[in-house]
Amino acid sequence: MEPLHDLTIKKFHDGLLDKKFSALEVTQEYFRRIKERDGEIGAYLSIAEESAAREASAVDVAVAEGENIGALAGVPLGIKDNILIKGLPATAASRLLKDYVASYDAGVIERLKSQKAVFLGKTNLDEFAMGASTENSAFKTTKNPHDLTRVPGGTSGGSAAAVAAHLALAALGSDTGGSIRQPSSFCGVVGMSPTYGAVSRSGVIAMTSSLDQVGPMAKTVEDAAILFNAIAGKDPLDATSVDHEFEADLLSPQLEKVKKLVVGLPEEYFIDGTDSAVTKEIQRVIDKLKGLGMKFKKVSLPHTKYAVAAYYIFVPAEVSSNLARFDGIRYGERADGAVSLNDVYLKTRGEGFGAEAKRRIILGTFVLSAGYYDAYYDKAQRVRTLVKRDFDKAFEEVDVLLTPVAPTPAFKIGEKIDDPFAMYLCDMFTLPLKLGGFPAISIPTKSAAALAPGELPVGFQLIGKKWHEADILGIGQYYEKLN
Amino acid sequence: MSSSSNSSIGKKELEHLAKLARIELDPNEEEKLLRDLGNILGHFKELQELDTADVPPMTGGTDLVNAFREDAEENGGRESTNQGAGTDAFPESKNGYLKVPPVFE
Repeated sequence: MEPLHDLTIKKFHDGLLDKKFSALEVTQEYFRRIKERDGEIGAYLSIAEESAAREASAVDVAVAEGENIGALAGVPLGIKDNILIKGLPATAASRLLKDYVASYDAGVIERLKSQKAVFLGKTNLDEFAMGASTENSAFKTTKNPHDLTRVPGGTSGGSAAAVAAHLALAALGSDTGGSIRQPSSFCGVVGMSPTYGAVSRSGVIAMTSSLDQVGPMAKTVEDAAILFNAIAGKDPLDATSVDHEFEADLLSPQLEKVKKLVVGLPEEYFIDGTDSAVTKEIQRVIDKLKGLGMKFKKVSLPHTKYAVAAYYIFVPAEVSSNLARFDGIRYGERADGAVSLNDVYLKTRGEGFGAEAKRRIILGTFVLSAGYYDAYYDKAQRVRTLVKRDFDKAFEEVDVLLTPVAPTPAFKIGEKIDDPFAMYLCDMFTLPLKLGGFPAISIPTKSAAALAPGELPVGFQLIGKKWHEADILGIGQYYEKLN
Repeated sequence: MSSSSNSSIGKKELEHLAKLARIELDPNEEEKLLRDLGNILGHFKELQELDTADVPPMTGGTDLVNAFREDAEENGGRESTNQGAGTDAFPESKNGYLKVPPVFE
């Protein structure tokens, strides 16, 4: 069997059809590796050996019987633990849901099950997907596989670490302000936040409903495209999901078309204070793409510096509303010793939520309260319009935007945990585009094998027009071939 | 980072907000929250530089208008909406009903 390091979704599929290995063998190999490595990395909150073996065996039966199988059949995936898989735990890394077992499948899981994907387990995250380092998990701190003293990024840090350490062939994450792309950059994997509405959020534990999107995390851009193609589409159980026909070249981009795309470089994203390792790598990417014959153009997104402040007003507002359901009444933990209903709420939420969840709920309650609503919440929503208009205007001149993903490579565990605003600034390059619902992808500037000893991975970000995932995935796939 | 001098949330106000949000806070948490919130609110001040009087607020992430679904079984039946699922997750129940402590103290 091929070593897990060399496996991609594409190679796995071909190997399965060529009978080089069975789906069950590969699944068991992943569990063997999880047992060997995940003790020190901590990517998973729970593993699902029994159900995964059943799912893999079903694929092997289908192959033996000569059934037509899809590109994801038998592919062993890690799933972020805020996405529901029926019969498996779904904790959102919160004490409040520590023993909760999902009673139905999320829309994305239904789609993956219809393709016969295999679910290895549920990956760690910042509690309720709030943070940028996975340190806000109530259960464990995930380590960056490239340097165990550093964070994997967040909030989909478990999924990123799992893919980077070959503890899953690919994974699902969710992205609100950068939660797929920043950990992808820190761990050296590919991660995409799709256009708002491209992917169902039914069965995904809601944080900020006007921004949350589920997306693929994988070893290659091609794998990310295959996974995205499988989960995208309208779901009657998510009224914000859209029935969109993606271009046929989503999966097989044409070089002639890709070369003609004009790339914008927003001046507000090339600033002092960005780590020199990041700046150097981004320049290298630009030079390589120029070598491909692509045209570059300077553009401006003048409201960029206001995006973080606006985001951290309306996000907590939505959080305070979405997390109101965690009250100990219908599911999850209920605090002991409460004598009245009101007591149940106060104690359950007081004991159950971690520091960042409390901070955002209180802040959100504040910005929505009478007397402050206009100055904060309403103001932030107007600024959101200005930030979106910046992108609309830039996209009149260029097809895609290229930027760093984060101002630094992975930082040390504990470095920012006591300074909430410093943690919020980790998203300064990834969150503005989300305000307008645009798709964006983080791609490693070089492969893990090409990193010098001690060098940390860095990603570059491509931002596309709405519904133009094919553009950013297309450039990404050609960049990988150059690399 | 700036000190709590930017704070526009005082102790009394924080306790009121915590009550509204149904979260019991201990004194240590209160102290840290006052400091953090003061710091965070300080960063929000820069938004006041922008004149947004003529800018419409963005009230959500979608361009869709009136996204209704057909009133059909496949879109709303017991299976597809997962209705009834989750009753086994009730923290406390009696005869299949959800049980809660007394509403009136």
